[in-house]
Amino acid sequence: MVNAIKGLMISCDVPMAQFIINMNAALPQSQKFIIHVLDSTHLFVRSDVAGMIRSAIAEFREQNTYEKPS
Amino acid sequence: MDTNAQLWYIIREYIGNSEERGLDSADLVSFLLELSFHSTGKAYNINTLSGIQRTIIRDLADLGLVKLQQGRKESWFIPTKLATNLSISLSDTSSRKQEYAVVETNFRMYAYSSSKLHCEILRLFARVEYQLPNLIVGAITKESLYKAFQNGITAEQIISFLQQNAHPRVAERIPTVPENVTDQIRLWESDLNRVECIPAHFFEEFPSREVFEAACDHA
Repeated sequence: MVNAIKGLMISCDVPMAQFIINMNAALPQSQKFIIHVLDSTHLFVRSDVAGMIRSAIAEFREQNTYEKPS
Repeated sequence: MDTNAQLWYIIREYIGNSEERGLDSADLVSFLLELSFHSTGKAYNINTLSGIQRTIIRDLADLGLVKLQQGRKESWFIPTKLATNLSISLSDTSSRKQEYAVVETNFRMYAYSSSKLHCEILRLFARVEYQLPNLIVGAITKESLYKAFQNGITAEQIISFLQQNAHPRVAERIPTVPENVTDQIRLWESDLNRVECIPAHFFEEFPSREVFEAACDHA
């Protein structure tokens, strides 16, 4: 019988996919959100984690910025 | 967009919304056209208008197109220059754009202007470093662009603004803004949207390949 699972498909580039997989691996078992890794640029995750992924990426991006004190 | 085009954009949205609020759009449009024939700065009695037109006047006063004045027995409205300019066609270039900005390939920006408005506009997407009596020096940085993108400004808007306000000295250069600057602005914009999320369903354990193909054809 066919199983249907509702979720979110994420389409991104290879480094971002690796970043998300890494983040998933760091979480305890009950909070893991990746349902399936489709290929190096597509992932299938639980629907409620979209905001968390976006904020984690924004935080990662902000670590690499430097603001000159005016 | 020059002032007139912006004004018309707002008015179009207002007319579009008026139907939902129960205001007849034909009345609205005819009143707007009437308004554009009034002389600027002359006070007109509100009692000459119908009830619907009074509602319209109140909305236009909020937008800044007319000024309301309360007398002892009567109230007046005074059309401003914006209102009388409504009937001027959009292609009127009486407000000539002043050209003042130079962008260099090292992401530095120089604006030969003493206007505070220009300084504030540039501050939206660039880091203004020095402000001299006739020159504004700034740099387009990743952080300043991120702030602009978070405020909803698109890279295309920034690039077209820089191109339209280019100093006559660089205006002959093709392209006006250096390509590495435009490319980098677009790259930084797409950097904010690296991940795309699409709600989807996942189907697994198909009994055989034929069932899977049939499902695909059905979709």
